[in-house]
Amino acid sequence: MSSPDPQRDGTPSSRLMTIALLGAGILVLAGGGAFYLASQKVARPVEAGAIAVRVGDKSCEPMDLTVPAGRSVFEIENASNRPIEWEILDGVMVVEERENIAPGFRSQLATRLKPGSYDITCGLLSNPRGKLTVIASAHSEAEKAKPPLKAFIGPLSEYKVYLVLQSGQMIQATKTLQNAIEAGDVAATKAAYGAARVAYRHVESVSGRIADIENAMDPVAAYLAGREQDPAFTGFHRIEFGLWRESSVAGLKPIADKLIADAATLRDRLKVLKFEPADLSGNSAREARRLAEGPVISGDSLYASDDLAEFAAAVDGLEKPVSLLLPLVAEASPETVKTVTDAFAATRAEIGKLGGTGTPVAYTDVPPDARKTLSASFMALADAIDRINPALGQE
Amino acid sequence: MRISGLVGASALALVLSSGAFAQEASLDLVEPIAEYKIYVSEKVAKLVEDTTAFTAAVKAGEVDKAKALFAPTRLSYEAIEPIAELFSDLDVSIDSRADDYEKAEADPEFPGFHRIEYGLWEKNSAEGLAPVADKLLADVKELEGRIASLTFPPEKVVGGAAVLMEEVAATKISGEEDRYSHTDLWDFRGNFDGARKIVDLVRPLIAEKEADFLKTVDANFATVDTTLAKYKDGEGYVTYDKLTEDDRKVLAAAVNTLAEDLSTLRGKLGLD
Repeated sequence: MSSPDPQRDGTPSSRLMTIALLGAGILVLAGGGAFYLASQKVARPVEAGAIAVRVGDKSCEPMDLTVPAGRSVFEIENASNRPIEWEILDGVMVVEERENIAPGFRSQLATRLKPGSYDITCGLLSNPRGKLTVIASAHSEAEKAKPPLKAFIGPLSEYKVYLVLQSGQMIQATKTLQNAIEAGDVAATKAAYGAARVAYRHVESVSGRIADIENAMDPVAAYLAGREQDPAFTGFHRIEFGLWRESSVAGLKPIADKLIADAATLRDRLKVLKFEPADLSGNSAREARRLAEGPVISGDSLYASDDLAEFAAAVDGLEKPVSLLLPLVAEASPETVKTVTDAFAATRAEIGKLGGTGTPVAYTDVPPDARKTLSASFMALADAIDRINPALGQE
Repeated sequence: MRISGLVGASALALVLSSGAFAQEASLDLVEPIAEYKIYVSEKVAKLVEDTTAFTAAVKAGEVDKAKALFAPTRLSYEAIEPIAELFSDLDVSIDSRADDYEKAEADPEFPGFHRIEYGLWEKNSAEGLAPVADKLLADVKELEGRIASLTFPPEKVVGGAAVLMEEVAATKISGEEDRYSHTDLWDFRGNFDGARKIVDLVRPLIAEKEADFLKTVDANFATVDTTLAKYKDGEGYVTYDKLTEDDRKVLAAAVNTLAEDLSTLRGKLGLD
């Protein structure tokens, strides 16, 4: 059910005031009632009493509060002579607040708190802040090992925003690519191609699983009967072939037009795609394994040979959804956070070692044993990411 | 009738545990929350753009131009307040009022939009405001960066609709927010737009089960729209003192009802 809050705040509008006064009365009655019910040992769950906080001119009373994790109801009384705002702060972040409580008024605030240390504000900005300590409960401990579905809504939304923004950037970059092709500028086309590929690599752990889009945007000649001459050889690699193998933009205009249309379709599909909580790390682990087994061993960019830059972009794309889960993982299993963070650092270091500094190293110059080492690093990364779902009670 | 119903429901809610009839939050919220982040990101980008022009006018001592840009610049901030307010340090430095400071307007710590508003309208001057303007611009840019890296808490997004209406009820309907410029009706607009955006985004999730609720909410939004429309002036609104007492009452009633009704939205979506 919703939080009670019969008195949202102390606004001196007559209507709200009436409600506030009624609410205060109800609260007293309900408090008494709760006590009565509790004393009768009635099994029905009973609302715990509200925690009183009195805000004076210079400080709160009390200045130090301790509550168990979970839902708490605070009743704030403004005993100062100015309107106040009362906030529960986690660092600079506001966890919950009530605004504009008029002098002499009370306001109620219901919230769910996780274990930890918080600050509470006490009137004027220059006044010292109070402390609120939230201690773990059996329920909060159990939720760490298996966060409720609700805990994944934020990370899933944020990942969706990322996918939409990245596919938007890909559309932008493919338009730049198209303009450069029309201008016949090979160097500018190559630059735009690189930018579009970075955005593509960022979303590939998801887009790579949408087969029709993948086949239109990213087919490789090796898998086509007529290889580079096959009419199905379209998309990114067809453009890459033209630019690097033929040093020309001839015939690329229709390919770019189609690529833009496909990128727009991809964005629309990503917008409506439904994810489950386990997909966030699951997709990244799967993609890391795919990279390890295929592209890292044989190379994906056969003509531009810029695979190392693409792998680096791919790692960023793998990390995004994982990073959104890490705050939850940190509560459940801090050592898993370390394993995952270290694995990302190790894979980046491997790519960095091969890439050297300054001029980009062509992947054709990376020998097979070095590719195997890099592949092992991606595989280790996949294994590390795979530890996340069990840590969060998924699957 | 309404009030007694509300009180009855509240009493019940107080006595029963919050978990008793809890709705389960659904993953159908993912799309609305993602859409909302994109909406907020666009608004904050506009805020940075507008604040750049506004603070440039302040620094150039162009008082009339700065006055003209003040209210439209704030519009974007007001629309995204449920998120902007999550960053307590920035909320203080961008949007705090003189009441929060020991020496009120004379307090050297008094910053942000309202400090500039005070200078422009009460003193009719931009003197001494350059550092305040620089800080304000830096702060809204910082806000943009922090919003970009924030995973939006779903309960804050959904609860934001009520927060915006409470904000209007608490500090706007009295005309105390923009007490020097009296441009409060612009802020109203921003708050309403922001609240309505949230309702519209979650509407498909509750359209069937909560048809009556939505009908009431929509009717009150419509009342606000019609009332505000009477005071439209060009791209914006006339000053707050032009609002008739009758219309103030109409707005206050609609806003209070919206604040009460929308405060149940979190619960309806399983986010309490």
